[in-house]
Amino acid sequence: MTPREIIENALNEGRTKLLEHEAFQVIKYYGINSPDVVVVRNGEEAKSLADKIGYPVALKIVSPDISHKSDVGGVKLNLKSPEEVGRAVDEMLKTVRSKAPYARLVGVLMYRMAPQGLEVIIGGVRDGIFGPVVMFGLGGIFVEVLKDVSFRVSPIRMEDALEMIREIKSYKILEGYRGQPPVNKEAIAEMIVKTSKLLEENPEIESIDLNPVMAYPDSAMAVDARIILKKL
Amino acid sequence: MIDKFFNPGSVAIIGASDKPGKVGKVILENFLKKFNGKIYPVNPNYDVIMGLKCYKSVSELPEAPDLAVIVIPAPGVPSVLEELGAKGTRAVVIISGGFRETNTPQGEMLEEKVKEIAGKYGIRIIGPNCIGIFDNWSGVDTFFLPDEKMKRPPKGHVGFISQSGAFASAIIDWMAYNNIGVSRAVSYGNKVDVDDVDLLRFFTEDDKTKIVLMYMEGLKTSRGKEFIKAARELVKVKPVVIYKAGKTSRGSMAAASHTAALAGDYSLYRSAIKQAGLIEAESFDEIMDIAKVFLTQPLMNGNRVYVVTDAGGVGVMLTDALTTQGFEMPRTPPDLKEELRSILPAHCIVENPIDLTGDTDDERYMKVLEKILPRNDVDAVVVVALPQVPGIRGLLADYLIESKNKYGKPIIAVAIGGEEAKKISLKLESGGIPVFESPERAAKALKALYTYSMIKKRCD
Repeated sequence: MTPREIIENALNEGRTKLLEHEAFQVIKYYGINSPDVVVVRNGEEAKSLADKIGYPVALKIVSPDISHKSDVGGVKLNLKSPEEVGRAVDEMLKTVRSKAPYARLVGVLMYRMAPQGLEVIIGGVRDGIFGPVVMFGLGGIFVEVLKDVSFRVSPIRMEDALEMIREIKSYKILEGYRGQPPVNKEAIAEMIVKTSKLLEENPEIESIDLNPVMAYPDSAMAVDARIILKKL
Repeated sequence: MIDKFFNPGSVAIIGASDKPGKVGKVILENFLKKFNGKIYPVNPNYDVIMGLKCYKSVSELPEAPDLAVIVIPAPGVPSVLEELGAKGTRAVVIISGGFRETNTPQGEMLEEKVKEIAGKYGIRIIGPNCIGIFDNWSGVDTFFLPDEKMKRPPKGHVGFISQSGAFASAIIDWMAYNNIGVSRAVSYGNKVDVDDVDLLRFFTEDDKTKIVLMYMEGLKTSRGKEFIKAARELVKVKPVVIYKAGKTSRGSMAAASHTAALAGDYSLYRSAIKQAGLIEAESFDEIMDIAKVFLTQPLMNGNRVYVVTDAGGVGVMLTDALTTQGFEMPRTPPDLKEELRSILPAHCIVENPIDLTGDTDDERYMKVLEKILPRNDVDAVVVVALPQVPGIRGLLADYLIESKNKYGKPIIAVAIGGEEAKKISLKLESGGIPVFESPERAAKALKALYTYSMIKKRCD
């Protein structure tokens, strides 16, 4: 499905938040590096796909009615074999059904966990005056507490994106500290540029959060994607 | 195109008056004093006003005026605008208040009507609720503050765009007092039509304006992209200094996401300002300081600054201030060191900042600057001349003024003190060397020049 179809389909169903696998599909379409995800309906299906996904496997419940997944047992991490994955999926479905009996369940999202990198955040929002704008910051306290972020108005060129990255106060951390190698700024910048393009081309997208994006010495990967829509 | 606002052949003043204290009187007087085109006062209560034939209504006018200025109470504005549209006038300044800014249904309704009529006839509008235009070259002057209250600056090359009328008049008054030449100033009030974007485009083409100062509170909905585009075109040819007022974030934005919560109003404006290549001033002083430097100094080729001082302490303060702004203060290279050693007494310091100490005189400065200014590895020089030193008599000022044109690189000065410092400052500034009372202000102003120099380089 193209982003257009995914968005229209969600809006037709009266949803203003894309489901996880839909959000991943949209960002993949724009070349934003992210894990391969599948949605499974039961343990059997999960077990047969586990080897193909690769370990360690992460599971998340997919439901338009559940926003805090871990509260209802809808998140499981670090699963290391087909059997473990199969069991975990069945368990999860059972627990969630008992804790959230009225929630519609689409299935369970399954993907390979990304190795730990430096966590950064790329966000985009549609502003009334400037149109699409993209934000960059470091994960955790840097954004939450220190509000150490930079913005640019779309369209964003590669040089703007690199400037955004250099602009934050905590930039030195990207350059590597305590023996950490520096992360790949070009890879992050490319992701910023693609996020800008995604917002430009899909006017129904109100906001997007890629949080966290794992930054590595040679690449970057969006590990989670939230896309909020608005009816035009 | 909004040229007609600034270069009309004829103007109608609707609501002209001869009653003291009336806005309609001040504006009519302004035009009588300086405007060379035809002036048509319009007011049903007069036959003659200040020696001019006065018309009962717009429809009676012998021609469609190029520009109309409206100063009647808000409820009467739509019908006058209708008449102007029918007559053929396409540029109107609405001074009158009583529109959307009142937050009343009546005011909003009137503003909608104004928009609608303007759209119907293709009339361009500045205002309503504004002080409009002060144009030093054409004599269009709708600033309704009489001369004795707000001095008019000399003809010159600073253009000014301001959302606030009070701010515009204060700055114009300040410029007059400091003898800084102004080309045109515009204050657009509620901006139902003509806004920052239109004015940036106008100033891009305007050869009388060499630098643009802006005071902005906010842009109209969806105008952000156009603003950046217009500003980028403008900064290719001249620098723009902007002060963004209202820096507190808008709390009303529904924080549906992290990003939305952080995208405070000001962070977005700051990014847009940067992307557009505008120079942001953070205070009123800074606007003035930066303007002073842009009006007098050539652009910089790089960021290497040398300081020549007669006061060690101020040299250190400047080093801190310049480094904080991101400038490089190179160590004096060996060949230059040797040259300086050979001309200076042993107790002088030849490291950058170069300290000529308290027993210096004008000649010592001149000898040193003669060695530094021609060098390719020097991008700007800051001269500290504390006038309390007995040997400083005034020759140095003449030399600096001369050298600025000779070497084509920025020279700015810092002079701290009382009466004597004021004297030196006046002399230097009248010769085009900006003088600052503090190292920090000097460094910030120079930083603005450097920033624009780099923007310009990118564009060329």
